[in-house]
Amino acid sequence: MRNTFRKIYLALILILLYAPIATLIVLSFNSSKTRSKWGGFTGKWYISLFQDTSIMNALYTTLIIAFVSALVATIIGTAASIGINTMQARSRTFFMTVTNIPMLNADIVTGISLMLLFIACRFTLGFSTILLAHITFNIPYVILSVMPKLKQTNKSTYEAALDLGASPVYAFMKVVFPDILPGVLSGFLLAFTMSLDDFIITHFTKGPGVDTLSTKIYSEVRKGIKPEMYALSTLLFVSVLLLMLLINMSPKDTKTAKHKVFNKAMIFGRVIPVSMILIIVSGGIFYHVESGQSGSEQVVVYNWGEYIDPDVIDIFEEETGIHVVYEEFETNEIMYPKIQSGAIAYDVVCPSDYMIQRMIENNLLAKIDFDNVPNIANIDPDYLEQSTSFDPTNEYSVPYCFGTVGILYNKTMVSDPVDSWDILWNEKYNDNILMQDSVRDAFAVALKRNGASLNSTDVSELQKAMNDLIKEKPLVQAYVIDQVRDKMIGNEAALGVIYSGEAIYTQQENPDLEYVIPKEGSNVWIDSWVIPKNAENKENAEAFINFLCRGDIALKNFEYITYSTPNKAARELIEDESIRNSSIAFPTAEDLKDCETYRFLGDDVDSYYNELWNKVKAS
Amino acid sequence: MLNTQNILIDFKNISKTYGNNLVLDELNLSIKENEFLTLLGPSGCGKTTTLRILGGFEKPDQGQVIFDGKDITSLPPNKRNLNTVFQKYALFTHMTIAENIAFGLKISGKSKTYIDDKIKYALKLVNLDGFEDRQADSLSGGQQQRIAIARAIVNEPKVLLLDEPLGALDLKLRQDMSYELIRLKNELGITFIYVTHDQEEALTMSDTIVVMNQGYIQQMGTPEDIYNEPQNAFVADFIGESNILPAIMIEDKLVEILGARFACVDIGFGKNKPVDVVIRPEDIDLVKPEEGTIQGRVTHLIFKGVHYEMEVMANGYEWLVHSTDMVEVGQEVGIHVDPYDIQIMNKPESEDEEAVGINE
Ligand SMILES: Nc1ncnc2c1ncn2[C@@H]1O[C@H](COP(=O)(O)OP(=O)(O)O)[C@@H](O)[C@H]1O
Ligand SMILES: [Mg+2]
Repeated sequence: MRNTFRKIYLALILILLYAPIATLIVLSFNSSKTRSKWGGFTGKWYISLFQDTSIMNALYTTLIIAFVSALVATIIGTAASIGINTMQARSRTFFMTVTNIPMLNADIVTGISLMLLFIACRFTLGFSTILLAHITFNIPYVILSVMPKLKQTNKSTYEAALDLGASPVYAFMKVVFPDILPGVLSGFLLAFTMSLDDFIITHFTKGPGVDTLSTKIYSEVRKGIKPEMYALSTLLFVSVLLLMLLINMSPKDTKTAKHKVFNKAMIFGRVIPVSMILIIVSGGIFYHVESGQSGSEQVVVYNWGEYIDPDVIDIFEEETGIHVVYEEFETNEIMYPKIQSGAIAYDVVCPSDYMIQRMIENNLLAKIDFDNVPNIANIDPDYLEQSTSFDPTNEYSVPYCFGTVGILYNKTMVSDPVDSWDILWNEKYNDNILMQDSVRDAFAVALKRNGASLNSTDVSELQKAMNDLIKEKPLVQAYVIDQVRDKMIGNEAALGVIYSGEAIYTQQENPDLEYVIPKEGSNVWIDSWVIPKNAENKENAEAFINFLCRGDIALKNFEYITYSTPNKAARELIEDESIRNSSIAFPTAEDLKDCETYRFLGDDVDSYYNELWNKVKAS
Repeated sequence: MLNTQNILIDFKNISKTYGNNLVLDELNLSIKENEFLTLLGPSGCGKTTTLRILGGFEKPDQGQVIFDGKDITSLPPNKRNLNTVFQKYALFTHMTIAENIAFGLKISGKSKTYIDDKIKYALKLVNLDGFEDRQADSLSGGQQQRIAIARAIVNEPKVLLLDEPLGALDLKLRQDMSYELIRLKNELGITFIYVTHDQEEALTMSDTIVVMNQGYIQQMGTPEDIYNEPQNAFVADFIGESNILPAIMIEDKLVEILGARFACVDIGFGKNKPVDVVIRPEDIDLVKPEEGTIQGRVTHLIFKGVHYEMEVMANGYEWLVHSTDMVEVGQEVGIHVDPYDIQIMNKPESEDEEAVGINE
């Protein structure tokens, strides 16, 4: 009786612990792209994973950083352990505590402090800073596993070796080292695993163009559904699991098992390093070929994830001979401090409207020399006009993509006409409404519905918007961001607030869906290219912007990104008539009449919005 | 005096402190060639430290170590022509016995055949032929001990240092090993410096015993000297069992113990001088009350195998007596001691010379 209870309890714990990973593994074999649908078993994500050179590059970077950082940390950590071990008891305790603290420290603290240190020392963030960071956080793990072995070793064996004529180094290598070898090896493996596993510290210390698997997965997943990433995460999980098993098996030293352990140590000592070296050498050749063209001319691009057709970069490099170092961000708020700190000299960046306004106000941007960007003529003047709301003189930015916010609805589930935000307050659709889980988008809906500006700073307008949102809340099924798309495709909701770019995609997957910009007006957003003040290759940046404004190139990007393009020349080149005339992709001036871009309202108003939004969420 | 030509090792004014702990205080000690010399003293008295200074594992704070006429005070251990057998054997557990023994020979670049011969010879010497391929931790404590010795002696050192080598063995094995050590010493013809806190071991094996306490040498001499003529209460107490009594030297060859006058053989202590006397329990004769110098009554009686151990209450002191003749408890007896069995000592001048009753 008690036994079965115990078993059930154990099973529950295991399920809780491993259910998320099991889901991930299952999804990695799902041939359907949506999370909510099982489309049959497939291994294709694993195959396409290994065909993606950027992922293979990230894999190689990950392995070399894990191997080199573990190796260096093992050498330093072992030496440190020996030093600590010879100390007096009191200073030994002190040093052990000091070396243990970084392990207990939150990764984010370690990551940010390392980043600050690197910036202070004028290091350029990149491969070498990741490596240094990994060495740093790996050392304590090595000390942790070598120390107990050192304490166990009989100090007099070392002295016996000296006594028999050995030099201190020889005595250490022949006598002490074999004794602590299991600890050194498991320290190495532990460090290797920790490095493989790390995301946060890498995230803060990496520079453009360098990615480890974990940062790659992160940036890819942010972009949308990419089952290859489930496959990659599964592989990462399995390798970390295997390494952990190896580590836990290695340092067993009961007297009887000693001989066997020694053989295992041979495996650890020979087989693993040799295979590692093989991987690194072959990877190095591969890597070298890949990045062989890195000449002197380059341009460092900082863009949203999935926001350019990779072919476009290849064509640009081919035509101009300028090497593109490409780095992605996930939100404006992550991008901004990186530009502000100046840790990395980006040449060309693609922020959103309100963020451009903020960057101009904070004097972070350089004026673009439009003599170098003749293709600006391809940009629809309407959008240059729209841009004046954040770049009043049109001197700092070149529009790249734009979109609107509107209502996506399922024709089979909604009988009323959809032309107003009012429908989101219709009790008929109780529990069938999806709202955006972000403060400005949520308030834009309520403000626009009442005929106010979505940049309102009027307290009474805002209070009213808040009360309306609280009234709406019981009808709302969920406040979400990415999932609007999936849930609408899967017929899980009738109405959802969505971005136009995603609306086009959902229509392809589910023809019952329709997109509308409500008659009260909405938000129109514009992402534009800008050049930071500290750009080191300003002319290359202008060449890059000019290239992107070319009709054929803008068309390629439009087809890849599927967000609306302000490029007239590109639109004329679209072959598919239904797309060329799509009112979602290319809203008329009439559609946009009452649409506004977001403006940065200042920190005080910002926090007032957040305060109100928290009240809505808490209601 | 010692013939200087014969002296192999000389400690000159060696002092050593750990923190505030003065472990050795201006120690002077000369060790002759081919001698079996034992450092004997209670645990913590500085024996190991002395040995480690000789081995090169510790640096003295002051003083010099002279070896074969050369100052080796700051020479590292691997450059010294002596080898140590460590207290806990310190065998290399991840090597075979043969590899253990060959360790020093390989470093000095000896040929393969030479090494193989030496291993065979050494294993034979310690009665462990055929153990070449065994793993060190598959051996018993006594066997490991012998391997540790074999590993040291193949290097043909001039001196072998042994730090309580028998300490971890059981009684029977300890006795066997001590005979073997004597045999080895005679076969090899080298100097042995041996550390122990066991006075029996010291007395059976040594040519010379150095009794130490609290970092000072208390007495140095042959086992017979040390046993029969302890120079202070500490030595008397530490070596064997004894009756240590306060007394007054009335004049040359006459001492007053517990109010009774005993004839003795010592001279030169002065008149009416307070001294300590040592009388070994086996030197006390129990006689008829009227024949004894003093009288008392037997209070305890234990049979010890070879002899009886008795306690006799006389003149307010419990006398310890060993005798092959038994006297019943309660019986009146007289105590008689031959003059040459009374050992007169000066009163202790410092703490380390006092009897402390440590007898491990
Ligand atoms: N490495 C050391 N650090 C501090 N104190 C020590 C050290 N080695 C020995 N001692 C102290 O020195 C004294 C003498 O030790 P030792 O020479 O080992 O004595 P023995 O071998 O006679 O038992 C002891 O009090 C011991 O605690
Ligand atoms: Mg000792």
